[in-house]
Amino acid sequence: MSIIKKIVTFKPSFTLRVIFGLISVVGFLSACAIVGLGDLSRALGAQDAKYQARSIEDGALVYSQQCARCHGPDGKGIAGQGPALSSITFLGKVENGIEVTKSQRLIDIGWVGNLDGYIRAVTAAGIPLKSSNVWDVTHPAFGQSYGGNLRDDQIADVSLFIQNWRQAPYTEGVIDSPKPGEALGPKPTAVPLSPEQEAGKAAFLKYGCTACHAIKGVAQGAVGPNLSTIGADAANIITQADYKSSQGKATTASEYIHESIVSPNAYIAPKCPTGACVAGIMPQNFAQTIPATDLTNLVAYLASLK
Amino acid sequence: MAIIGKRLVKQVKTTGVKATIAQRADDAFTRFTSGLTWGDVRGVLRGDPAPRPNPRVKPHTEGFWFHIRPTFYHEATTSLYPTFRLGFLSALFFAIEIITGVYLMIFYTPSPERAYSSMIDIITNVPFGMFMRDLHRLGAEVMVIVVTLHMVRTFTTGSYKKPRQFTWFTGVVLLMVTLGLSFSGYLLPWDQLAFWAVTIGTSMADAAPVLGPTVNLLLRGAPDIGAGGLLRFYLLHVVLLPLIGIIFVAVHYYKVVRWGLSLPPEMEPVGEDNARKVPPEKRVNFLPDIATNEIMYIAIAVAILAVSCATWYHAPLETHSNPLVTPNHTVAPWYFYWLQGLLKNTHIIPILPTDISTVVDRFFANVLGLTPKILWGIIIGPLVFVLLMVVPYIDPNPSRRYGQRKIMLTLGALFGALILYLSLAGIPTGVPVTGFGYVGGAPAAEVAQEFMPDEGDGALMNIPFDQMVVGEYQVSPDAGVANAPDLNAVLKEIYYDMQRRMTSADPNGRKLSQDAVAKVQIAQIQPDLKELTISISYTDDQTGTPQLYTKFKFLHKNADH
Repeated sequence: MSIIKKIVTFKPSFTLRVIFGLISVVGFLSACAIVGLGDLSRALGAQDAKYQARSIEDGALVYSQQCARCHGPDGKGIAGQGPALSSITFLGKVENGIEVTKSQRLIDIGWVGNLDGYIRAVTAAGIPLKSSNVWDVTHPAFGQSYGGNLRDDQIADVSLFIQNWRQAPYTEGVIDSPKPGEALGPKPTAVPLSPEQEAGKAAFLKYGCTACHAIKGVAQGAVGPNLSTIGADAANIITQADYKSSQGKATTASEYIHESIVSPNAYIAPKCPTGACVAGIMPQNFAQTIPATDLTNLVAYLASLK
Repeated sequence: MAIIGKRLVKQVKTTGVKATIAQRADDAFTRFTSGLTWGDVRGVLRGDPAPRPNPRVKPHTEGFWFHIRPTFYHEATTSLYPTFRLGFLSALFFAIEIITGVYLMIFYTPSPERAYSSMIDIITNVPFGMFMRDLHRLGAEVMVIVVTLHMVRTFTTGSYKKPRQFTWFTGVVLLMVTLGLSFSGYLLPWDQLAFWAVTIGTSMADAAPVLGPTVNLLLRGAPDIGAGGLLRFYLLHVVLLPLIGIIFVAVHYYKVVRWGLSLPPEMEPVGEDNARKVPPEKRVNFLPDIATNEIMYIAIAVAILAVSCATWYHAPLETHSNPLVTPNHTVAPWYFYWLQGLLKNTHIIPILPTDISTVVDRFFANVLGLTPKILWGIIIGPLVFVLLMVVPYIDPNPSRRYGQRKIMLTLGALFGALILYLSLAGIPTGVPVTGFGYVGGAPAAEVAQEFMPDEGDGALMNIPFDQMVVGEYQVSPDAGVANAPDLNAVLKEIYYDMQRRMTSADPNGRKLSQDAVAKVQIAQIQPDLKELTISISYTDDQTGTPQLYTKFKFLHKNADH
């Protein structure tokens, strides 16, 4: 108790006041000096790098949610959907912060601004089909000012994320846009669907398959496997060893497609748009919710996609 | 001009150039200090005893700043007890906030498009910008604490009693201004932390009957917080509340000086107030004693604040606000935890059995339109401040002696304990023993939230970048990843956290299923950018079906998590 009493009745002598005051002033000045000198030398730059890095992280999230379904999770592009963004043709190359290769794409289309401006402009405002005219997919306008859902800062983040590939852009396995005026080659002539297959296509749209699966020209889902060529793929899969060792029992492509719809966990397809496919994502109850005729038509439609 | 010139020439002729300059400088100095010569000031700063007649009284009658301060204090009020200098410190922090705030104002734009990038700009491009922001933020937090302690002290020593009732009243207004300033400043960085804390705060107003939606609309400028809300909070923060604060500080301090600093309770006869009747031998003059003490306190407080901000303290800044994404475990600012805890009451009368409570709730809701949210958040919450304001007017006891105020001091302690309890209930983990206020989802989601929170940093994100070895790891006590001790340690921590959640239920009675397994995947997405995924497969304790919970984050080498 007496210690507490001593503390609460303590009155610093004049000398003590001067000493405490001086120590404090020195402390304050050195704190200012530490901060000021740090700011002058490198602290501001370090902070800049830190927040740029955090922007890239945020951009990566936006990219995975909005861009990956057409440009691919690794930015290498998806045929018929969107061109590569991580290719050297699109990005050029940067070494130690200096541009060593220019973006060929910007030269081809005659863009006079810089790459950042081009990426942000296209992300925000989109490209109409007739000016890109390569694939049957338009680039949507993502910017809020253009009717999309991304804020300006998110667009800036995405642009930083895409430019982060410039240190090591891909040169192989990428699907670049052709030069303006060059088409991708003759378009395949569409085989008309039979009435049964037509009904299957309607069922595909009706039962919500489009939410997760993509079919070129029909749907753009990016959760489950791309079904654009499932007729051919199915025939291939059932011959594979890992299929035979799974619970799958199909012997024809149609049986495989049927099995994948009614008991999706029998065999898990290896490749989904965002990486390896995961069990339990596809609903397990389609056998009950899709009527038998619709199911037959759906299988017939999917089997026709080759 | 000519006259001054003639006088100057005459003075120089009679006394010489040197003496004239000295004389004129001393004159200017004396005008500046309202009556003290350089010699007097030097004497004050050296702690010399006052000469007679005492020239140090003159500034108190001549100058503006010193006339605000009393000429002398009672000796008994100059030790640490009974004031602990808390009122002085409150004013000091108010001043620090104004100075640092003006600096930040230069670089800040109150619009949703610019606000967050202003913050980044202040941190990355403005010299001393981050330092000033840290000072401003830490100063605000400390100010709330100091102001609260000041009130606790005034209550404890009974200094609110006659004749100081109105001083106390203005003090409670100042407490509200302090909380309001802190709260309105919370929104300005426009990050997720700010946005959701303020959304919670203002949505309480929305629940109030009749006026609630109108008040909410006035505050936010729209049904949701957006450009209008940001601008309004900004104007509240930089104009209206500081203005109210300055006016009430003036009234408050005028009353303090008018009635004198209250003496320690044991020194006064019961029911009397002797603070103004200071016998000459008990007087401690403002100059030099009080002034030099205050200068020392200012120096110490500013130094502690500055050294803290230069070393360990940095104001948080989370990701850009996003109205579409509510981070898990969103909380109000800590000084409003108690209000958030109060809002978690689900019944009008919380102590009744649930069945009866439901009937009572229904009765009140149907007959009076009174729901638990309205009662606890809108009626009881603000009532706390009203209660504080009227304390001096309803306390019938004239005595300030501790021994004679047992009831009031007990009530005060109970009130403090209640606020602490409710504050604990306000945070997502709830009160430790009773579990009141616990907010949590499925145990698996809580594991992920613990190690990889939606906002801010978790243990998984703090692993050094070079130790995030690309691969897929089962969570286990000994993962044995080569050259990655930190990664192994976190995998071990997650394992034991899951074990704990398997054996002991959370306050909602939910346990993690025994078959739960977790894995952490690390993938290289880009140069310097990795993706961290935690996935937990478990059997849901409510439906009995197998579930998979996954959560991912992108981490950049330079992001310094």
